[in-house]
Amino acid sequence: MDPSARMAGNDRAAADVVVIGAGTAGLVAAIRLSQGGLRVRVVAAGHGCLVLAPGVIDVLGYAPERVADPARALAPFVAAHPDHPYARVGPDGLDRALAWFRETVAPLGYVGALRHNRLLLTALGGLRPSCLVPQTMAAGDLSQGGPVLVVGFHGLRDFSPALVAANLCAVVPAPGTGVAARAATLEWPGPSGDGRPLTLARRLEDRSLRAAVGRDLRTVLGDEPRVGMPAVLGVDRWQEVWEEMQLVAGRPIFEIPLVPPSIPGLRLFDLLRRVLRAAGGRLQVGAPVTGVRHRNGRVEAVTVARTPREQVIDTRWVVLATGGVGGGGLQVDPDGTVREPTLGLPVHGVPVPGHPRVLPDPFASHPLDRAGLAVDEAWRPVDRSGRVVALNLHAAGAALTGCEPWREKSGEGISIATGYLAASAILEEAG
Amino acid sequence: MMKAVETDLLVIGGGATGAGVAWDAASRGLQVVLADRGDLATGTTGRFHGLLHSGARYAVKDPRSARECAAENRILRAVAADCIEDTGGLFVSTPADDAAYADGFVAACQQAGVAATEVPVTEVLRAEPHLCPGITRAFAVPDATIDAWKTVWACARAAAAHGAAILPYQEVVRLMVEGDAVCGAVLRHARSGEEITVRARYVVNAAGAWAGRVARLAGCDVAVVAGKGVMVAMNHRLVNAVVNRCAMPGDGDILVPVRTVSVIGTTDARVEDPDRVQASADEVRAMLAAGESFIPGFTQHRALRVWAGVRPLFAATSPTSAETRDLSRGHTVIDHAAREGVGRFITIAGGKFTTFRLMAEETVDAVCADLGVRAECRTAAETLPDSEERHYYWIGARQAQAEARPVDDPLVCECELVSRQDLLVAAARRPGLDLDDLRRALRLGMGPCQGGFCMARATGLLHEAGHLDRAAANAALRDFVEERWRGIQALAWGDQLRQMRLDAWILLGVLDLEHLPE
Repeated sequence: MDPSARMAGNDRAAADVVVIGAGTAGLVAAIRLSQGGLRVRVVAAGHGCLVLAPGVIDVLGYAPERVADPARALAPFVAAHPDHPYARVGPDGLDRALAWFRETVAPLGYVGALRHNRLLLTALGGLRPSCLVPQTMAAGDLSQGGPVLVVGFHGLRDFSPALVAANLCAVVPAPGTGVAARAATLEWPGPSGDGRPLTLARRLEDRSLRAAVGRDLRTVLGDEPRVGMPAVLGVDRWQEVWEEMQLVAGRPIFEIPLVPPSIPGLRLFDLLRRVLRAAGGRLQVGAPVTGVRHRNGRVEAVTVARTPREQVIDTRWVVLATGGVGGGGLQVDPDGTVREPTLGLPVHGVPVPGHPRVLPDPFASHPLDRAGLAVDEAWRPVDRSGRVVALNLHAAGAALTGCEPWREKSGEGISIATGYLAASAILEEAG
Repeated sequence: MMKAVETDLLVIGGGATGAGVAWDAASRGLQVVLADRGDLATGTTGRFHGLLHSGARYAVKDPRSARECAAENRILRAVAADCIEDTGGLFVSTPADDAAYADGFVAACQQAGVAATEVPVTEVLRAEPHLCPGITRAFAVPDATIDAWKTVWACARAAAAHGAAILPYQEVVRLMVEGDAVCGAVLRHARSGEEITVRARYVVNAAGAWAGRVARLAGCDVAVVAGKGVMVAMNHRLVNAVVNRCAMPGDGDILVPVRTVSVIGTTDARVEDPDRVQASADEVRAMLAAGESFIPGFTQHRALRVWAGVRPLFAATSPTSAETRDLSRGHTVIDHAAREGVGRFITIAGGKFTTFRLMAEETVDAVCADLGVRAECRTAAETLPDSEERHYYWIGARQAQAEARPVDDPLVCECELVSRQDLLVAAARRPGLDLDDLRRALRLGMGPCQGGFCMARATGLLHEAGHLDRAAANAALRDFVEERWRGIQALAWGDQLRQMRLDAWILLGVLDLEHLPE
């Protein structure tokens, strides 16, 4: 069919910027662009990866030894990894992006500083470095050790307080320190449950069920100055739940992130969506991009699948934030070819044919893990010879080459900084 | 002082054959000890495609095997129904296959007593919509799928009910010989290192691909050739019946629907060391490409897991060729008294899963004859535990169980519908077991997520219930991640890679498993 004829049957819309992808990078870019006065549409195939993430802001946790001070570790880290997104972000860019982010998500009360990695308790009882954490995890920095009461719920399938406490007693946060941990288990509130964290979090939003949990909690308290609980303290009404439980306990309570779906991740996703809407941006989920129209080296329009027919969005800029392999932003073929499926962009850092893509040790750094998009100083994807693919196309987040966020514990830092800076580049051009 | 036990019969090797021998001998009244160096059914038995042969696959090339399979298929359906899903089987002539082969195939099936009925192609395509629409002929045969772990443990439980002792994780370090006869073995526990002596009136070597090694401990020579077979599990049940290509057996020409997945197999290549077999990325690609010939678009489906098993092929004279497909799939009862003058010692060599009961019967017949015990084989008529009602397993069985469960028994593994109670009951039944044993017992972590979500849960539960101490729990979790990785690392592309990334995100990212204390 003649493309123009097909266009004629489509819905049309217009935006200053189309952001593709509703994960951290996409939402950060979209909010910043909306705040800068541009008309923004976020189009996304799905709900993004925020609900998978623990809701903490990792900046740099391992390099490959545990990092105590990300601000100081950054320079040697990028010197060793010149292709890493942080090499382009720079310390100043990271600082500005994180400061902006904290202000943007102020209702969640993120605390922390780039100069200090907190050591957070994992749902297995290990310690995991992270940089900024929401208010509900603020009391959970165990880098100085100290006694902790670990409280779980009978039947909550993703959290075993006994194993957490046992492991916690064996960790050494810093030389000469340790954690004395004790486990306690509360009754599942209300009628017997399905063991899911989300079910429990909703139950805790019910005042009378929560009161019963509070009574139960009082009976297990000891001398420990703080209490760790699984991250199930309310979904929308988390503040009320968390504060009331602290009042009951008479001491700080910190949440411990669980495997997905993550409730702190959900809270952050909800807040970012609200902030975007308040700033005038629009979000279309379930709208995968089916094509783009180029003219004179620029992307002129983006087509998305919609029921009952496609929608064409005319735009001045595009931000691609579709994620890495996990998010679907990169695809790998059986022969080892790595593709960027949305716009067909060139992918860098792909292992040469005939060389292993993954190694026999699951914990190793695999050759395939660093494949992704390479960008210029304005965060625009470039081809193998370094030429910009399209003048008004920018990229951010896990799709970028040179990083292994889950191993480095750098995911949110990369997504926030690159989303923020890609947006800044566009705002600068827009004047 | 080393712990010592006395028994009539020591069976070495806890695969289908060894478990079958234990069941058979115990049901005839012998005192039996069954030992395996690992968990039961972790050698060849636990690494096959799950096909209960009708015999059709061997009809043209190996009529004797075909006849044996046909008979054993009927018997196992009667005594081990709970381990079997009655999928039925199809032989289809694809456009690439010689259509004339089909006529010879039908005749050979008839000769061997295998029921093969031609089915109209349109009817087959309606029942199997993924199948290549260009197939020219199709034949229905009574193939089925059989759960190897369930079967072996059912045999072991039946043997135990007759008084047998089942000893997994007990490796034979020495065979004891007195005069010109074997009289027992020294076993060492794989985990504790503790040794025990088993004095036995008779020893059966049912170590399959490892039988040569065990025989050597008594100074005997058994020329077992290990033939590697590669299998790939696909993330869906692409077919409802077992589908075979109607052609001379070759690589990648069987697709077996097993529970929620389907398994394509297999290859055949000689390997020197049965402990060192791994499927290469090339073999996986070749297997998937072979799938295209009867399921168009096969390579586009998600491959979930790959593994290799070793067939214990027995050659009277040691073959040197790399090609093992032409070696017989038949079995041989080797009486070492007659062959090498080493008495009270039998090796059961060769064979295949479908005929394990027959192999056991012939072996125990020989043992009884030698010991002067007069007892008839009962295994063709004695139903195995959980098969008493003679109901086949069916695909919806676990869902039905899950729906009947109380709500406060949450699912631990959502892919395979394993609840907390299932897990705790299985763990209590076999103290000292690890996550990998539980995987085989319950299929925990064998579904699409390959353990990404359920393993940490299971570890926590086992720790809480006192089955794993802290350090053991951490080690079990790490071991499990490594074990799963072996089966998926050759599949790092497409949606499977996406799943691997999600699992890495959970286990390495959120839980930071790598940095848990030792």
